[in-house]
Amino acid sequence: MNTQPYLKYQCILCGEIYDEELGVPEFNIAPGTRWADVPEDWLCMACGAPKSEYVLLED
Amino acid sequence: MTAPRIPTELIAPAFNPATFGIGKREVIDQLFTRLRKDYPLAVAEVPGYDPHWIVTKYDDIREITRQDAIFHSADRSKTLASQLAEQLMRNYTGGLPTIFKTLVHMDDPEHAEHRAVTQPHFYPQAIAKLEPQIRETARRYIDEFLAKGQGADFATELAFRYPAEIVLSLIGVPKQDHQKMLDLTHWLFTYADPDLCRPGANITDPQEIIKTWDIVYNEFKSYYESMIHARQQCPVNDLTSVIANGKIGGCPMNERNMISYLVIASTAGHDTTSATTAMGMWTLAENPDIFRKVRDQPSLIPGFVEETIRWTSPVQQFVRSATEDYVLRGQQIRKGDLLYLSYVSGNRDEDAFPEPFRFDPERSPNRHIGFGYGPHICLGQHLARLEMKILWEELLPRLASVEMAAPGKFAESEFVCGPKSVPINYTLA
Repeated sequence: MNTQPYLKYQCILCGEIYDEELGVPEFNIAPGTRWADVPEDWLCMACGAPKSEYVLLED
Repeated sequence: MTAPRIPTELIAPAFNPATFGIGKREVIDQLFTRLRKDYPLAVAEVPGYDPHWIVTKYDDIREITRQDAIFHSADRSKTLASQLAEQLMRNYTGGLPTIFKTLVHMDDPEHAEHRAVTQPHFYPQAIAKLEPQIRETARRYIDEFLAKGQGADFATELAFRYPAEIVLSLIGVPKQDHQKMLDLTHWLFTYADPDLCRPGANITDPQEIIKTWDIVYNEFKSYYESMIHARQQCPVNDLTSVIANGKIGGCPMNERNMISYLVIASTAGHDTTSATTAMGMWTLAENPDIFRKVRDQPSLIPGFVEETIRWTSPVQQFVRSATEDYVLRGQQIRKGDLLYLSYVSGNRDEDAFPEPFRFDPERSPNRHIGFGYGPHICLGQHLARLEMKILWEELLPRLASVEMAAPGKFAESEFVCGPKSVPINYTLA
């Protein structure tokens, strides 16, 4: 089991945040889904940017 | 392959600003419901206008707007414009499609470079820091509004002014100039509305919009020029300082782009929020069940805000031009074709939103396109959400009931359109 703390990633185009702890249940990404496990063809929920436009959000 | 054509008599009303001021836009809703059913992607040939593909479906609007390289924003007018208006504009500007060169009117790399200048200031984590001052502003506007008594107009007295004060303060505009900025905003976005247009404007004259844009641009230019120079000499903690000192490719931003940046922030930065806030109150006043539910469960307020954005869809349309041939929904779009994106239609699309004509603060998911989609998505979306969330958090606990004091009125505008009058009666909690 992955015991690393959950991280957040942010879309640099629109500011949308992906929180690993929360996932996106409304789009079938379960809470706890690590960013690496989010499908590569996934698009930002807010603006449609590709996954590559997300960056790690530092505290 | 022959492109399907929309009967002119069916689509022409959507090209007329007055149609959007009828009732609660039910004529527009009926028109686009018919189009989504019978002409989901088809060509409108309205006399006086170049042919436009009318894009009515949520998925199609998203497909277009996430591909900025294929569907340009800068080559033609970004909003619906007649052939005469476009020609006048090109004559006036020496060949450009618009006076303004805002983020809305740019393509990459120019768009990305300019957006990056202010983008970090509009991220959620930056906006969250503004909460105390936004809440204080909201409380003050609510106190002032309630002091006006029964029948006061929630649109003009609160919804127009509260978001304007917040964004204009961020820009660095002193409060005594906010009314001037509000007036210029209305002249620009509701140029054809008899109550909101520039005083003395002849709204039946096709040249009027060019004249108004020219006046508005020069009013803003004369206002912001000295501020820009002052902030370049001595930056302070405001958006004008950020823009005035912004670098594009390592060089200072050019003056037209700087002025335009401040114009879009000073207008679109509040007008769409005003429209959505006013529509939110109109909805509450006509639906006591929704009012009670949201008031009694503050956790529903964020969902209520999202639904008011979907419901209001204040930006009715933007126009893109195709830079290459493209097949969409089985139709052949040709290089150079114009595409009219109907955001109000996309946000009522039955294939994207179950029961789209039901206002549901608990709608989930609610991935509306009220802020647009793709790289041009509204820069101020997180600020707008927070402003509205705080307003309802502060206002609803103070009300026991609310109802319309007289019929509400929509602005006559085919571009940015929302309520211009929402008179209400209420009882205090």
